[in-house]
Amino acid sequence: MSEGMLCTKSHEYILEQGGGKYIIGLTDYAVEQLGDIVFVELPEISSTFAKNESFATVESVKAASEIYMPISGTITDVNEDIIANPELLNEDPLGNAWLVKIESNAEDVEFKDLLEYSDYKEEVGA
Amino acid sequence: MTKQTFLHGKHVKLGAKMVDFAGWHMPVQYSSIIEEHKTVREAVGLFDVSHMGEVVVEGEDALPYLNKIVPQDITKLVDRKAVYCQMTNKKGGIIDDLIIYKIQDNKYLIIANASRIDEDLNWMVRNKLGFNVNIINESHNYSLLAVQGPKAVELVKKMGVSDLPPFFSIKRAELFNINLWVSRTGYTGEDGVEILVRNEFSETLWDKILEAGQEFGIKPIGLGARDTLRLEAALHLYGNDLDEETTPVEAGLSWSVPKSKVDDYNGKEVITNQLANGVEKRLIGLKMLDRNIARHGYDVYYNNEKIGHITSGGISPVRNDNIALAYIKNLSELVIGSVVQVEIRGKMHDAEIVKRPFVEKKNKVNT
Repeated sequence: MSEGMLCTKSHEYILEQGGGKYIIGLTDYAVEQLGDIVFVELPEISSTFAKNESFATVESVKAASEIYMPISGTITDVNEDIIANPELLNEDPLGNAWLVKIESNAEDVEFKDLLEYSDYKEEVGA
Repeated sequence: MTKQTFLHGKHVKLGAKMVDFAGWHMPVQYSSIIEEHKTVREAVGLFDVSHMGEVVVEGEDALPYLNKIVPQDITKLVDRKAVYCQMTNKKGGIIDDLIIYKIQDNKYLIIANASRIDEDLNWMVRNKLGFNVNIINESHNYSLLAVQGPKAVELVKKMGVSDLPPFFSIKRAELFNINLWVSRTGYTGEDGVEILVRNEFSETLWDKILEAGQEFGIKPIGLGARDTLRLEAALHLYGNDLDEETTPVEAGLSWSVPKSKVDDYNGKEVITNQLANGVEKRLIGLKMLDRNIARHGYDVYYNNEKIGHITSGGISPVRNDNIALAYIKNLSELVIGSVVQVEIRGKMHDAEIVKRPFVEKKNKVNT
């Protein structure tokens, strides 16, 4: 499931789908740290964000957390299932409970600080 | 240096997620905050609240001294009864909210917030001049365990305390050959007890309660659920809903302040005036009308004018909606049922003023 996954130090992941398309989600480590997730706010389709720009909010019982773009891009799809059932994020963050899909023509430089999933896990000490 | 309760090892062993709270390394959750919350509403939960402060006030002037530092009338307090109090400054602002127990003549026990114990002791010592009292901080000697929920009383009875003290009362008892104090109090809105025990016995007691509680579905409960439970019960949290700039009247605690107390107390002039003539700001309960969550610090608007801010907010696992406590300008047109707006990430979201508490309290049963 984590094959080809690239992660940020702020706990987002991207998964390349080919043709400049990517899936963005939140890592399993992040959702475990957050605990019960009770609210998800996702951006409008067609909105465009820069790398590291906040594009979504995920709220646990305790707090609201901003989610940041791993690379720049335009939103092509949002996961309506997790808006309706935020707890899905606790169950399957790397699979069905992705956050958004984007199209991106990000240059290589935007990928430089992203970590392979295994390196990310080591980095966060999980 | 972060402090640890005597039950710290138990929490770690149970796999709790630990956080720093008021200088203590405490369990925020063992499994899931929502699950723990429901356990307390439906069965029974066990909390380690040993971070709370315990202060004994004794001496021949203990009564007049306490009567000076809180608006409540301590002269009315009889042996082994408790009263919910606020310790106020000269302006009527709240230094801390406390439970004061009368143990016997000239001897009282105060339970104080962990986050405020240093300020409390400073203030208490500053107010001691002319009173023959000893103020003894016993916090480092005692652990406090809370057993809360609809099955709590049955469990405590099964463990051997057949004759439970009535609501807001305390008694000496023996559980598993350990001498301790059992108080019919809590911070959840449920029936239950808080057990004050010397540190050296707390681990044994913790284990025995979890064991005896198994048949009732007991679970250990972290500070996360403690917060959601107290919010549903609309119980104030010091630092969020109470501070030194807020009086008991503004905080919606007038019910706890006697109007005819004879003795002078810190802040009496301000508080008496507010009771008679009203306040400029007041605490309200809010229910969000969409799925957005109001949180501490968010601004509240009415007719496009900023009228206040949220002091506590979050989800209500029992009501399955989002609730909050807020302080607003005391506008007469804002009543139960009025709709105001909460600004969340730059957008306005409707919220309705609702009655507090948000769920029915189940703890005022004197059995």
